Amino acid sequence: MPAAKHKIVTAFEGIPQSRSLETYLKHGGYQNLKKALSMKPDALVDLVKASGLRGRGGAGFPTGLKWSFIPKDSKERYLVCNNDEGEPGTFKDRYILELSPHMLLEGMIITAYAIQSKKGYVYTRCEFYEEIEWLNQAIDEAYETGYLGENIIGSGFSFNLDHYIGAGAYVCGEETGMLSSLEGKKGYPKLKPPFPAVAGYLGKPTIINNTETLATIPWIIEHGAEAFRKFGTEKSPGTKLFCVSGPVKNPGVFERPLGYPLQKLIYEDAGGLIDGKELKAVIPGGASSPVLNKEDVMTMKLDFESLAGAGSMLGSGAVIVIPHDVNIFDVFKVTADFFHHESCGQCTPCREGTGWIANILQGIEENKGSPADFERIYKIATQLMGRTICALSDAAAMPARGFVNKFRDELNAYIETKRNTR
Amino acid sequence: MNEQVTFKLNGKDVSVPKGWTVMEAARRENVSIPHFCWHPGLKIAGVCRFCMVEVVGRPKLEIACNLPVTEGLEINTKTDVVKDAHKWGLEFHLINHPLDCPICDQAGECKLQDYYMEVGKYKSQMTRPKILKPKALDVGSELVLDTERCILCSRCVRFEEEVTKTNALGIFSRGDRSIIGTYNEEKLKHNYQENQVDICPVGAFTSKRFRFKQRVWFLTQKESICPGCSTGCRISVHAKPQERRYFRIKPVLDKEVNGYWMCDIGRRTFEHHNLENRLDSASLVKRGNGELAALAEQLEASSPRDIALLVSAQYLNEEYQSFFEFFVKELGVQKVYQWREPTEKRDDFDNILLRGDRNANTQGLMGTLETFGLSRNARNEFDDCLKSKSKVVIALCPEITSGFPSLGTHLTQLAEMPFVSLWTCLIEATEIKGLENLIPMKSFFEKKGTTLNYNKVERKLESPYPSAVFGALDVSEAVSALRSEMRKMLGKD
Repeated sequence: MPAAKHKIVTAFEGIPQSRSLETYLKHGGYQNLKKALSMKPDALVDLVKASGLRGRGGAGFPTGLKWSFIPKDSKERYLVCNNDEGEPGTFKDRYILELSPHMLLEGMIITAYAIQSKKGYVYTRCEFYEEIEWLNQAIDEAYETGYLGENIIGSGFSFNLDHYIGAGAYVCGEETGMLSSLEGKKGYPKLKPPFPAVAGYLGKPTIINNTETLATIPWIIEHGAEAFRKFGTEKSPGTKLFCVSGPVKNPGVFERPLGYPLQKLIYEDAGGLIDGKELKAVIPGGASSPVLNKEDVMTMKLDFESLAGAGSMLGSGAVIVIPHDVNIFDVFKVTADFFHHESCGQCTPCREGTGWIANILQGIEENKGSPADFERIYKIATQLMGRTICALSDAAAMPARGFVNKFRDELNAYIETKRNTR
Repeated sequence: MNEQVTFKLNGKDVSVPKGWTVMEAARRENVSIPHFCWHPGLKIAGVCRFCMVEVVGRPKLEIACNLPVTEGLEINTKTDVVKDAHKWGLEFHLINHPLDCPICDQAGECKLQDYYMEVGKYKSQMTRPKILKPKALDVGSELVLDTERCILCSRCVRFEEEVTKTNALGIFSRGDRSIIGTYNEEKLKHNYQENQVDICPVGAFTSKRFRFKQRVWFLTQKESICPGCSTGCRISVHAKPQERRYFRIKPVLDKEVNGYWMCDIGRRTFEHHNLENRLDSASLVKRGNGELAALAEQLEASSPRDIALLVSAQYLNEEYQSFFEFFVKELGVQKVYQWREPTEKRDDFDNILLRGDRNANTQGLMGTLETFGLSRNARNEFDDCLKSKSKVVIALCPEITSGFPSLGTHLTQLAEMPFVSLWTCLIEATEIKGLENLIPMKSFFEKKGTTLNYNKVERKLESPYPSAVFGALDVSEAVSALRSEMRKMLGKD
């Protein structure tokens, strides 16, 4: 792999024709697969455990530990790549496909070998028109050159991969909703237990990993767990892709070590705000992460623990910058409408609660608000947390509570302003 | 012995078989955990999120329906945090519910109402307009669907998936726009539709046959056995005895026989029991009301060889016993014929509950015939009776006519025989010219006794309704009355 500081999944940045198999091979592509196939599967699981790699999809669950949950006596196992990047503000997985789809494939094949899966799926968001084509092409190339299919590069290990395109539901990015969708059903998340590692796709043990997580695997094989741990913090090792959006001078995807200062990301890497705008707030990890105010932003470190400690979360690493001239109520309402629209409707609290919150905000916008409204929203949101099959309900509740917590005065003032203009 | 697991339920040690859930254990212990989507006859969905309980030592509340009992588990169902969760759980179900209880057929047996009293009693916090959804949808021959009342518990969807295996229902759209519906707006056609009315915890599915007929709290319920076929489902008959009207039939759990369900054909078996369909003694007044005396005279004047018994398999064991005791043992009658639908496919089975043998007590009749040494008669059919040149026929008429398309023809044919005494509860018998001797009978739900189902499972009918008509008898009563008529006659001689 091209060697550059802090660059693991973005190693191919700046390299021409980076998506082609030729370029990938030229830079040592699929050498890590060869190395991995010469190791024992369990040793790979241990290596990834030792690296401390945590899921990059948002939840941050330790990857190696997840792999080890597969029952030892199971024969039929599946690997699914969660490439349904739908968290508002997130555009990192598509960047990996743009740079180097083979890196994802190599990571997947190594993972499949580690968990001894013979069949895998990539579940891709349907709006990724170009990325779907790029990945399809990479898969074709990998089959043609023997990196996918039967007896991969003479190792005796076989792994077949299908590319499945979603149909636009956010909830299908939830791993068990994704499995339902893959099975051809409505994308309802599945009741747990049993967990997918025990009973997943078609009731068989299944590992679901995020694109970024899987694309990190070849680097860990090449450089080892210790090298990976040189980046990041003790509990959040490695690098992470951050997607900076909003009115900044240089929006985009940045690979930075975990624990990186948020202020530096926004003001140095992303170049600060445009047109003399002032920073008001930041949503640090996609729409489901609670908002930070300016004070928080200035001291925040971007890792799982620091953000959780501040009552927010690292999530998918989608940093949304909100300037002074944007009304927090509008951000709140857009967020609430999103989760209302995307709740699958299976669990009552989420189905009714997300709608209720959006409904109350609608009332406020129509000048029918009352000072009790935000307190009620806070109470409703509290009842949505930890009460449902999947985390979509929490994803809706946490930012709702966050907006009320951090911007109560501005929100209440908004009701008053509306009343005065009635 | 099954392995037992012990856990603490509200501080009390409880042992249950390994594999049970907290919900199942709590039910056995009569600890109420509010729930909508869980149903003991269906797979666990875990979607209503209402059955929250506290697991000591775990940070979050968990749903009881999907929580296996493990050794040493400590569960609380009545702590403040659980009560609060139940209150909110109910409120989430109700914020978009139309609350049209006064015009809802489910009122009085609605779980939303019950739970409001049990765990709710809050002041509504919903101040915004509710979501409107399609109402009064015709979704099947027996069903009306109100998607606004629906709480999307998915019981109905699972029923169609797991029990009828038709997958006839699905949840369409997403979030709080979700509605229950059928594919391509097809209508449900199967024979198990009204189970949806039973398992729907709210007023979303209502019965076309029953809706707007009666407020449920005015109904009396008595257990009986479905007379519709040889499966013999355990049922509850809902009626207003003071008005002498039957209104509906619902299944009662019988793990050996019908489980939680019953079929729509069975549910229709109450209709002929009602006053306007019944033969009563009053309708016979103009004939002089001396039917039994007339029959006694005929019997007195005939040789047993000229007497025939035509017996349907829709009476109770005790009735057959006294019937054959009198006619066969005492009078020496030997000619016995089974009265069955000639086109019946007796061994048919729909793989759920309904059997081709539409008689509730075929096995009981067979058994009694055997007791009286009449097994060979089991093969004698209706046509054999017609051809038997008997002078007197005593006929125990079937009361369930739905599986008996030939009944009308049979009655007309019988009317041509010299003397037929028809024991029946059907008013239609009075319309057949030539049927002179009619004995009004009690219907199935008005009798005490036992039946044997197709599998020789014995079930008791223990709590009969008073007969909907005056002067109706069961077979045993008719036989004793006949016996005394004959004694009277002998006395006169």
